[in-house]
Amino acid sequence: MPLDRTNMNQKLKFPMIALGGVLAAVAASLGLFFVSGNPYVLHVLILAMVWALFGAGWNLSFGIGGIKAFGHQAFFAISAYVSAILSLRLGLSPWLTIFIGALVAAALSVVVVAPVLRLRSAPQIAIVTLAFGEIARILIVNFKGLTNGEMGLAGIPTLPSLNLLGTKVNFSSSEKLGYAIVIALMLVLVLTVTQMFRRSRFGMAMTAVRDAQDAAASLGLNPTTYRVCIFVASALVVGLAGGFYAHYLQVLTPSDTSSVVLMVMVISMVITGGLGTLLGPVVGALLISGALEYFRAFEDYRLVIYGVAVVLIIRFMPDGVAPLFGRAAERLLRLRGSTGNGGAVPSKRDAPVQVAE
Amino acid sequence: MNISLILEQLVNGLVAGSMYALMGGGIAMVYGTMKVMNFAHGEFFMLGGYLMYAALDYFHLPMALAIAIPIVCVPLIAMAFNEVLFAPLMKRDNWEMGTIVTALGLSIALQAVVLRTVGAEYFTVPYLFDGFVRIGDFQLPAQRVAILAVALVAIALMELFLGKSRAGWALRATSQDAQAASVVGISTRVVFLMAFGLSGLLAAIAVVMLAPIQSVNPWMGSSLALKAFVVVILGGMGSFRGTILAGFLLGLVEAVGVMLTSSEWREIFFFGLLIVVLWFKPEGIFGAVRRKA
Repeated sequence: MPLDRTNMNQKLKFPMIALGGVLAAVAASLGLFFVSGNPYVLHVLILAMVWALFGAGWNLSFGIGGIKAFGHQAFFAISAYVSAILSLRLGLSPWLTIFIGALVAAALSVVVVAPVLRLRSAPQIAIVTLAFGEIARILIVNFKGLTNGEMGLAGIPTLPSLNLLGTKVNFSSSEKLGYAIVIALMLVLVLTVTQMFRRSRFGMAMTAVRDAQDAAASLGLNPTTYRVCIFVASALVVGLAGGFYAHYLQVLTPSDTSSVVLMVMVISMVITGGLGTLLGPVVGALLISGALEYFRAFEDYRLVIYGVAVVLIIRFMPDGVAPLFGRAAERLLRLRGSTGNGGAVPSKRDAPVQVAE
Repeated sequence: MNISLILEQLVNGLVAGSMYALMGGGIAMVYGTMKVMNFAHGEFFMLGGYLMYAALDYFHLPMALAIAIPIVCVPLIAMAFNEVLFAPLMKRDNWEMGTIVTALGLSIALQAVVLRTVGAEYFTVPYLFDGFVRIGDFQLPAQRVAILAVALVAIALMELFLGKSRAGWALRATSQDAQAASVVGISTRVVFLMAFGLSGLLAAIAVVMLAPIQSVNPWMGSSLALKAFVVVILGGMGSFRGTILAGFLLGLVEAVGVMLTSSEWREIFFFGLLIVVLWFKPEGIFGAVRRKA
């Protein structure tokens, strides 16, 4: 895919809009808390941002890298458990272990991506990544000495207090504001880096590799390098979300952190916001979490709702909610010009047949 | 270890393998024609189990009807899901991602709906065949022998259908080259519907035979479907014959494995096998069989 010069110049105008959009979304969510003043709203908001970070990480691989992986719950769980166990057993500071956990997840992602690189068919990639997810879950359940098996880990340390310019920021189940700020900062950082990446030469090369692997390779881009890098970055971000989750909730169980259900939940959020878009994961996570809280009566039906939401959105709103709010919203979400079709790579070549009506 | 015990394990392996073959065959049928990996196949199987249980214990119908109801209804359910969810996606550019996500979502939703409406209770269904079959000096439970016999007959009939009937030819033609098949007047829409129907039929046959020795619960389909996916991959992604062979092979390997390993690690073995095969031989162990079939 040849890069159009004028188009490139056009694109450079958008980073500021992008950053503004990210900040606005997060600020609006935090505003919601201050307006209501209800600590429970803050709790829901923090979890929504954890899922947004998970979704943003998954979106790096799925939407931006075009690697259709369905096993990122493994990276989330592994990072969460590594961070929890290191801080519980060795007494290391959670500020450090969150990053160690994310790095371990990133390192393991190299093992996952190796077989994936050899496969071109999406169903095969889906099966391999799902299998890795299940392996991670079974390992966590079986290594009872470290993980306490199905019973899960409890009493995981909270983030230690910080002393910022004389102001002490505490992190505990009664003082959640610190957590909200930390996760919001992580989210803004990740989204900013993602957006900078997409504008960079490297990011455009990534798009080329995703949309036309053979053509990109013939121009001297090594598809393997790009795909490994984006996948590892994606695992790293999902790992960060996992580590934060462990020290925020202070309780981990294999079923809450490593089941396919978690992946489907995040998918439902990302596709609601818009697959392959920068802000899609954030918008989707806030919308779905908010909607579920609004309809608390259906609490028991959460899994039904995630499953049905995924099915219905793919069927009736494949671009997510942005088109509902008109062109402006679509433009803000999609940051037009970066990915033409929101990462939904057209592959007519591989399609079995155009079904005649 | 005495000979008769080993023989008994091997027969058990064949019995289990016949079920992997039936389930895998259904998934391969849909994948071969539509290139859709139906992650909800295990849930079709599970719905059949509940239909059978409901017919027997709730409506007090005779066993013959309790068998007939899933056999008729599961293919209809599968075809309905194809019409409403999968077929419309096939016309889109990003159908591949769309169908995978839809199948995953459908699988989670069906499990959760059954869990919330019926509950997590484990129901039992009576044996279809009591007693034992004696061959020489060893004996086998009649139910297990019947499972193997029914599966073999079903597979033979399916082979006959694919090989001899015009509808079977249309299905095979579509799986070889969908574009060319539609050019010569085969309606891909009807073929897709047929693939889902037949796949549902195989799942219904499997559940009618297996429900009595398993229990009926919301997760009964997922562990079997998992092995069926392994079988489909070993069998060369969408080859019916390759999948059937791989099913029996996996059953036998597992029967030997049971004697050697603990159950906690068995699933890891299956997933590991799956990844290793896809890594080194993405076309499957029996990929070559497909070209001949």
